[in-house]
Amino acid sequence: MAAAATCGSVAASTGSAVATASKNNVTSFQRRGRRASGTNDSGPRLVSITGTRPSVRNGQLLVSTGLPALDQLLGGGLAVGTVLLIEEDKYNIYSPLLFKYFLAEGIVNGHTLLVASAKEDPANILQELPAPLLDDKCKKEFDEDVYNHKTPESNIKMKIAWRYQLLPKMEQIGPVSSSRFGHYYDASKRMPQELIEASNWHGFFLPEKISSTLKVEPCSLTPGYTKLLQFIQNIIYEEGFDGSNPQKKQRNILRIGIQNLGSPLWGDDICCAENGGNSHSLTKFLYVLRGLLRTSLSACIITMPTHLIQNKAIIARVTTLSDIVVGLESFIGSERETNPLYKDYHGLIHIRQIPRLNNLICDESDVKDLAFKLKRKLFTIERLHLPPDLSDTVSRSSKMDLAESAKRLGPGCGMMAGGKKHLDF
Amino acid sequence: MTPSEGARAGTGRELEMLDSLLALGGLVLLRDSVEWEGRSLLKALVKKSALCGEQVHILGCEVSEEEFREGFDSDINNRLVYHDFFRDPLNWSKTEEAFPGGPLGALRAMCKRTDPVPVTIALDSPSWLLLRLPCTTLCQALHAVSHQDSCPGDSSSVGKVTVLGLLHEELHGPGPVGALSSLAQTEVTLGGTMGQALAHILCRRPRQRPTDQTQWFSILPDFSLDLQEGPSVESQPYSDPHIPPVDPTTHLTFNLHLSKKEREARDSLILPFQFSSEKQQALLRPRPGQATSHIFYEPDAYDDLDQEDPDDDLDI
Repeated sequence: MAAAATCGSVAASTGSAVATASKNNVTSFQRRGRRASGTNDSGPRLVSITGTRPSVRNGQLLVSTGLPALDQLLGGGLAVGTVLLIEEDKYNIYSPLLFKYFLAEGIVNGHTLLVASAKEDPANILQELPAPLLDDKCKKEFDEDVYNHKTPESNIKMKIAWRYQLLPKMEQIGPVSSSRFGHYYDASKRMPQELIEASNWHGFFLPEKISSTLKVEPCSLTPGYTKLLQFIQNIIYEEGFDGSNPQKKQRNILRIGIQNLGSPLWGDDICCAENGGNSHSLTKFLYVLRGLLRTSLSACIITMPTHLIQNKAIIARVTTLSDIVVGLESFIGSERETNPLYKDYHGLIHIRQIPRLNNLICDESDVKDLAFKLKRKLFTIERLHLPPDLSDTVSRSSKMDLAESAKRLGPGCGMMAGGKKHLDF
Repeated sequence: MTPSEGARAGTGRELEMLDSLLALGGLVLLRDSVEWEGRSLLKALVKKSALCGEQVHILGCEVSEEEFREGFDSDINNRLVYHDFFRDPLNWSKTEEAFPGGPLGALRAMCKRTDPVPVTIALDSPSWLLLRLPCTTLCQALHAVSHQDSCPGDSSSVGKVTVLGLLHEELHGPGPVGALSSLAQTEVTLGGTMGQALAHILCRRPRQRPTDQTQWFSILPDFSLDLQEGPSVESQPYSDPHIPPVDPTTHLTFNLHLSKKEREARDSLILPFQFSSEKQQALLRPRPGQATSHIFYEPDAYDDLDQEDPDDDLDI
């Protein structure tokens, strides 16, 4: 879509450059002027939509997910026309945050929003979006947050390994340059009412749209899903996100957010039974949704309670049908809460899949062990560092615990800690 | 809330537990099993709500009305509004007082009420409904009933709704139980050891971490609650008395701690690969010449002082 447009314009300009060179015979490098364009519009060739930028790898148009740290891990951002699936944590505390960051980013950039939920009224969801941090207050807020986090030892500058001080840390703390792609949000404050009212949003609340006495035919989509797909299709068509409305000059992105897809409140029974009657409903929905997204300027975020899905094969199919899959695993209630390895964090974040769009390789980051922490104002994602291996005199049982817990981490760190036997080198 | 020695401060603590269960509103799910039954706790909660002046509706499906009302005194019995679905679950006798649509219809009808009075609905039990209805329908109905009052825009025109449900865990697989737990605001799992009942209470407040408590209790014949300490713990945690803890910092051949003077001396040391200004001066200073460096060499008996290259006689 956007990449094809770039190629087209480059080809046109080289053609015109060659033509002028043959006339003047001075040099083949000519400045591309207005007469080379052939039409009379004086604007730039490529229309740029606010809040998007082309990827540095292949020119794919990207939008921000609302969390600049997550954008970095996904290779720059979420590509337009793709689905970001978030596997919810067990008590559904942190996944709504990511959902709200995505929507807040849409409001700040002026994108159109479509919020669908079976649990909460979309108007209530929009009232709870985090407030954006503006430039002048940003630095002060971040400094105070970082300062509270710093330990005394980190004040010592490195004397022997001084070159490592120049390496960038995992997360770029602080506001990025003024051409804004990703914004920072204050999770403790609400978005101001006037910003929400000034934005263009559509809500889909399932209990209002559907009457409960509808009969479901077998092997078809659940009526809730059918209505949602029709709603999304109507919005895309009426507002011209798929290019069907040529009068619209100003192009914009549609951000779709679907909350708790697959839960019983949508009428889907994959969380209740292993082999229910409608077990293909969710996968069909995702397939049709991807078709709608690929032909329009939209990006979608879906949160799904995969820990409730009984049939593991469905989870695998759902992962394949989505583009980016991020899993959140919180430590609440699990035995990891008391593990000293994880005491600074609230949970682990797993990047389960990154798509290969118009590409043979995908942009995966080399850091596989990531943990997140919800500070008072920020949601941060950091690399998880294993502690150094302890000496022989420490009791064997604690070493076994660390080996067990470290086994769950990715193969990228510490092969020594894998397996039950603890080998020392 | 840990059971402490002052458990005899009876009524104060008892109210705390029942209050905390009823305070959040929404769906309160009591999960019981064959060994630890939950109907008496359900009746204790019903009695507490009735005494607080709330409107109490009972949707009785599993046991008969007489059995449910047994043990309550007449004051409470008069306050309960009982909908009986046990005697005639399929409504064959076609009487007008039965709700059309069965218990599900009754639940949906309660969604549409508009009184400001807080209401408690005791559902006895969702297990009965799960065996007869699709799980998704029940989840949608329970969610609609328990979330009527959650709109921040309305000024409390609808009172708080609490739905108490008694779920028999062993009748269902992990799927329906998981689905209902994810909808519940408070979940009480009953267990226990050695004749003492234990309640694990999990409270999910919206957008906050869930809180987890355990409480030993027993229910008295008049359905009031008696909080207790747990049974005494007889086994000590296993500790090995033969191996004393070893301090690894004793008997070291190197120094782990630095005194202040040593620390200052260490800080002022210039490391060999640091490019400091002194090193720069040393490199830029003009060399004094060959006279300053001498090589002293004493030839050994076996040394060959021949200056020729041994490879010269190779005929290449």
